[in-house]
Amino acid sequence: MTPGANRFSGRRGPREIAGIGRKAAVQLYHVSKSYTAGHYALRDVSLEFGRGEFVFLTGPSGAGKTSLLKLIFAAERPSEGQIVVLGRNAPRLGPAATPPLRRRIGVVFQDFKLLPRRTVEENVAVALEVLGAPRRETRAKVFAILKQLGLQHRRFHHPLSLSGGEQQRVAIARALVNEPEILLADEPTGNLDPELTLEIMDLIAQTATRGTTVIVATHDYGVVNRYAKRCVRLDGGRVVEDAPAHGTGP
Amino acid sequence: MNPAAAQLVSFLRAALRGISASPLTSGIAIATIGVTLVLLGAFALLVANMERMLDDVGDALHVTAFLEDGLDADVHRELAATAATVEGVESVRVVSKEEALERFRSGVGRGAALLEGLSENPLPASLEIQLAAGYRSASGLARVSGSLDGLPGISDLTSGQDWVEGYLRAIALVRGVGWGLAIILALATLLIVANTIRLAVLSRRDELEILALVGASRAYVGTPFLIEGLIQGAVGGVLALGVLYAVFRLVVPGFEFGLELVLGGVAPRFFTGSEAMALLAAGSGLGLFGAAAALASESRP
Repeated sequence: MTPGANRFSGRRGPREIAGIGRKAAVQLYHVSKSYTAGHYALRDVSLEFGRGEFVFLTGPSGAGKTSLLKLIFAAERPSEGQIVVLGRNAPRLGPAATPPLRRRIGVVFQDFKLLPRRTVEENVAVALEVLGAPRRETRAKVFAILKQLGLQHRRFHHPLSLSGGEQQRVAIARALVNEPEILLADEPTGNLDPELTLEIMDLIAQTATRGTTVIVATHDYGVVNRYAKRCVRLDGGRVVEDAPAHGTGP
Repeated sequence: MNPAAAQLVSFLRAALRGISASPLTSGIAIATIGVTLVLLGAFALLVANMERMLDDVGDALHVTAFLEDGLDADVHRELAATAATVEGVESVRVVSKEEALERFRSGVGRGAALLEGLSENPLPASLEIQLAAGYRSASGLARVSGSLDGLPGISDLTSGQDWVEGYLRAIALVRGVGWGLAIILALATLLIVANTIRLAVLSRRDELEILALVGASRAYVGTPFLIEGLIQGAVGGVLALGVLYAVFRLVVPGFEFGLELVLGGVAPRFFTGSEAMALLAAGSGLGLFGAAAALASESRP
């Protein structure tokens, strides 16, 4: 099944922009984001990420990587400029239209953001439950993704009883179980040791081969160099380099 | 299980999980709703019983018309026949001076010896006038008394009108105080429930953030909190009913004398099934509106 093709993913609605976003998953036009007057987290950023593309966002802390990801999954609105995500004008979506867009986007964070009182299975299932997916189908899909990520034996455990790598794999399972069209990862290996870092990055890289647009924010240049994918470098909120993919990474 | 039922079960589980996660604050909300409903229910019970007593007394209401001295029995009968034609009068009975004295004598018991010294009977003859069914009320009494007043041969009229009007005023006062207290307590309870739910929302902010992240709608996020408020209200209502019933069964018999003063000979009654359901609905409504207010204030930017 192609990403986003399952019947519970958000449907394209009237805010779909004709002719835009057919090939691009995300388009940013002169986007700026300011949290306090005179201080910009992002400044005049124009970028386009294609469908199925794997892109690294790099740069030092405070460069604007997390702000950019937040704008893409509509957690923030830009101060200036336009953002088109999966053909929808993200900043203009109202409270009712934002959740359907988010259901087409998977997000993975450095701190995992798992529900400590729920089991691994329940944590992953929540992404399908919010769509109103039937219980049986939810369980089958959750089991399949946990098996794919080698976590099926941990499905009744609680997150805090798992290792950091396992917790991040649970977070990835939750982000992928809905077969999203875009996967955003914000420093997904920031809390992991080098061995686990490669394991998690390989899992994320695999999703791009299935047609999902993958955008990974990281300041780990070792990871960036290993995968040899397109790399957008931010500094002070501006794009200072946009290097295309080169060679054949893993 | 169909998807809607499964969703409802899922919301219910989330609500129960929320209550068990913060038992103290939930307990305070339930206790507050319970106390409010106990006070509200107590006033409602008192008013219902007082109104019932008025219905009971209505059957015994009558007008007594005292007749002028010196009229003979024929005139008494004529006056009785005239009174019987007045609208609202069901029947008229003549009570002669002798019968009045006899009644008095049997009424005072051993004090009747005092009457031995009287040279003549001081009690007047009278007409005992029973009211028709539609006139057994304060207004009915007033209308019949007004029609009888001024008839030749009648010196004075007495009826329970003043007493009935006073009792109606007492009921209105109790009802007014009850409503006033109910409104104040309901507002205070709404605030407490709203704050309880707000605390629950704040304590689960991380969870809500994650739900929003995976595309949960506002309804999906908010419904468990509304159910939580509803459950707290319903439990508060059940507790209040339990307390009121216990008080009614255990304490009321110890205050028979005081209750007799207020209710007369009417045996106090507890809520009917529909009244009990109304009290439960009031509790659930308080919980639901409190939760809705909390969600509205939390979602405000």
